[in-house]
Amino acid sequence: MTINADHTLDCSGLSCPMPILKLAKEMKKIEVGKVLELLATDPGSKRDVPAWCDKTGHEFIEAAEDGGTLKYYVRRVK
Amino acid sequence: MSQSEPEKGGIKHLYKILFGNTWAMWIGGILLGVGNICLFIVLKPWGASGGILNWGQNILNSLGLVKFGSAEAALPAVNAHPYAILCFLMLLGAFAAALLSKEFALRFAPIGEIIKGFIGGALMGIGAIIGKSCTIGGFFSGWPALSLGAIVFTVGLVIGTYAALRYLLFEMEKFPKISSGKSASFLAASTKRASMQPLIGTILLIVGIIIALNFNKAGNKALVCYVLIGLFFGFVCQRSRFCIVRALREPFMTGESSAPIGVMVGILVSMFGFVVIKFMAAGTPKELIWVFPHFWLPAILGGIIFGVGMTLAGGCIVGSLWRAGEGHIKLWASLLGMIIALPLTAKYISPPFYKALPAGLKQQIYLPHKIGYGGALLVFLAIILLWYLFVRWNEKTGKFSAV
Repeated sequence: MTINADHTLDCSGLSCPMPILKLAKEMKKIEVGKVLELLATDPGSKRDVPAWCDKTGHEFIEAAEDGGTLKYYVRRVK
Repeated sequence: MSQSEPEKGGIKHLYKILFGNTWAMWIGGILLGVGNICLFIVLKPWGASGGILNWGQNILNSLGLVKFGSAEAALPAVNAHPYAILCFLMLLGAFAAALLSKEFALRFAPIGEIIKGFIGGALMGIGAIIGKSCTIGGFFSGWPALSLGAIVFTVGLVIGTYAALRYLLFEMEKFPKISSGKSASFLAASTKRASMQPLIGTILLIVGIIIALNFNKAGNKALVCYVLIGLFFGFVCQRSRFCIVRALREPFMTGESSAPIGVMVGILVSMFGFVVIKFMAAGTPKELIWVFPHFWLPAILGGIIFGVGMTLAGGCIVGSLWRAGEGHIKLWASLLGMIIALPLTAKYISPPFYKALPAGLKQQIYLPHKIGYGGALLVFLAIILLWYLFVRWNEKTGKFSAV
């Protein structure tokens, strides 16, 4: 499934808690309904990103992996 | 990212369960709790700062920079000190687990993050010596040891964690360049073709077992156990991403309760075994094991400094070890910071600090000696219950969560 992201946030190299802190900050900046692509290399993000979306109500669309880079697609819901 | 599911019950399916997804933290908690009881049966409970202190003393000694040890009290070598061995095997076990899960990569964070890692590690070193504890000795093992000082140390950890989290949020707003910038990742497992990582991980596990066999040949059964339990601990920590920093920080961040509950489970399992061991050894020095003479000023001070350090670094001592094993260079910097700070604080800062303290501020208080075993258990269980209710309520209401 090809997803067209409206914004990209690159958290490559960052370890816990930075990817989630940056994701939370960036989501406040984008418009409701837009999709953010988060790039991360911390394996912890596989659990953290969907959990954060679940908690905050934002839509977790998909996760993908490309070599060592994890890609998450999140839509701002509110 | 879809692959055909392996047939249930087969070896491939088992491999996927063990190495495919991260284990729940409460599973890690149970396994670490059981291992902790085993360590106490063999020698003493789980601890981390003592091991890295020995690493640091030996490294600084061999560099000829500072002298540790004397004719009367020789410095134990890293391959003779049980906790130095434990820490090394935790690193090895985590490295092996990361490779087997294809989660290893050399991950270079932006330079600002690596510097924060080093500073965090150094603060942990200072806090651990001042407080005579770390998140393991003063909390994960300290509470099961029924030490009153451990409660105070933990309060310090929470204060330090909260303060550092507020700093991280402030830094992200006002100085975002510190956590941004060039980063790099090398040697990650390919998703397109078979990776060498599981094979290397298997070899490392065998190396760990060979180390145990060597100690067995030398007749040192305690070190055989420490090697195998250390390997197991590193493995379990990486697979379950067991993180005490997360347990104390999460209520103020996302509000998720899985991390605090995972740690609570570990503490409860450890406590079960520790209380039995100590109760059966009543009247002997065994009761006072892991009850440090830091109640209350060094405990609160050390706890705060350690709490700040671990939150800046993104891992406590154990967290730094298993994340270093996973390849995060920021946590290598954290280990470097504590390797330097632990021995220097122990040699130059701690002795005059403790000498100046009146006896009343550096007491060793074993709670059952004050209010009996029943009373002490009630106190600790009540604290854990209140903590559980708080994290659940906070998860629902988000009252204290920043993100």
